[in-house]
Amino acid sequence: MRTLKLTGQIVALAAVAGMLGLLVWQLTHQTKAPKIGASAPVFSLKRVDSPGTLDLTSLRGKPVVLNFWASWCVPCKGEASMLESAWRQYRKQGVVFLGVDYHDVTSDARTFLAHHGVTYPTVQDGSGMVADSYGVSAVPETYFINRKGRLVGDHIIGTVVNQKNAFDSGLQAALAP
Amino acid sequence: MIVRVVAVFVAALILAGSAAAACAHPKTSLTSLEGQVMCPTCHTTLDQSDSAAALRIEHFIQLRIDQCATAGQIENELVQNFGAGILAAPPHKGFDLLAWWLPLGGIILGALAIAFGVWRWSRIRTPDDEAPLDAETEQRLDDLLARLD
Repeated sequence: MRTLKLTGQIVALAAVAGMLGLLVWQLTHQTKAPKIGASAPVFSLKRVDSPGTLDLTSLRGKPVVLNFWASWCVPCKGEASMLESAWRQYRKQGVVFLGVDYHDVTSDARTFLAHHGVTYPTVQDGSGMVADSYGVSAVPETYFINRKGRLVGDHIIGTVVNQKNAFDSGLQAALAP
Repeated sequence: MIVRVVAVFVAALILAGSAAAACAHPKTSLTSLEGQVMCPTCHTTLDQSDSAAALRIEHFIQLRIDQCATAGQIENELVQNFGAGILAAPPHKGFDLLAWWLPLGGIILGALAIAFGVWRWSRIRTPDDEAPLDAETEQRLDDLLARLD
């Protein structure tokens, strides 16, 4: 009888310890948004504009403008043409614009790209895991990554159309050697 | 006569068209799927959300229903697009099966533990249960019983 009681107590203690362990693990493994100067979280995502995948590490050595967007996002429609114009202007200097389509239906995303004439590469983050790793809270948001793969400039929350200065300075920071 | 022939021809065309549009299996409905699919931006089921993302997913589901896709096909496509988290309930296969069996196992174990506890409790005898009555109490009990007779 005493053995049975002791076994019950050990099982109960183990269950409580397990729950506490889960709680600690959850608290210590929460994704924190990377700070400016930190390495940009790497990812490999399926392309929307063409077959295959794109790995962020393959762009190491090039300045990258990373724009999170979605076809259902109204402000994203407003900034699409400006981003395309900037891409056409800066691509000669080696800048890569990369769209990350967030929580979106693929067919809707393709329609959006065609409608707005977006020609820079776009990948799909359907689950939102990559956006979470960057700390994206809503779309659109734009990040700047320098040649060393580090986040530079201020990341832009909301449309870049209303934050032209921040966009230009972010681009210059990404271009800096 | 010509009018009749044309009318029959048009009717035949309409019937043929509707037959072609019919699905080989019963169509699923948006209402039935809305409660099983999550809105990825608001973390509620689609039927409880009117966010832009939820509306686009509903539109996609309706489009696929109109194209005679089954509920399973639509769910698979949504999982491919958004990941397994798009489904309100975890799939009944692989590691996700644990999400279904663990609560059931917990309930069964809990019921067994309660049953065992009750069984143990019913068998416990305190020393007082078996101790003989003292002479005074026994006398009072006999008197009480005699009075009742």
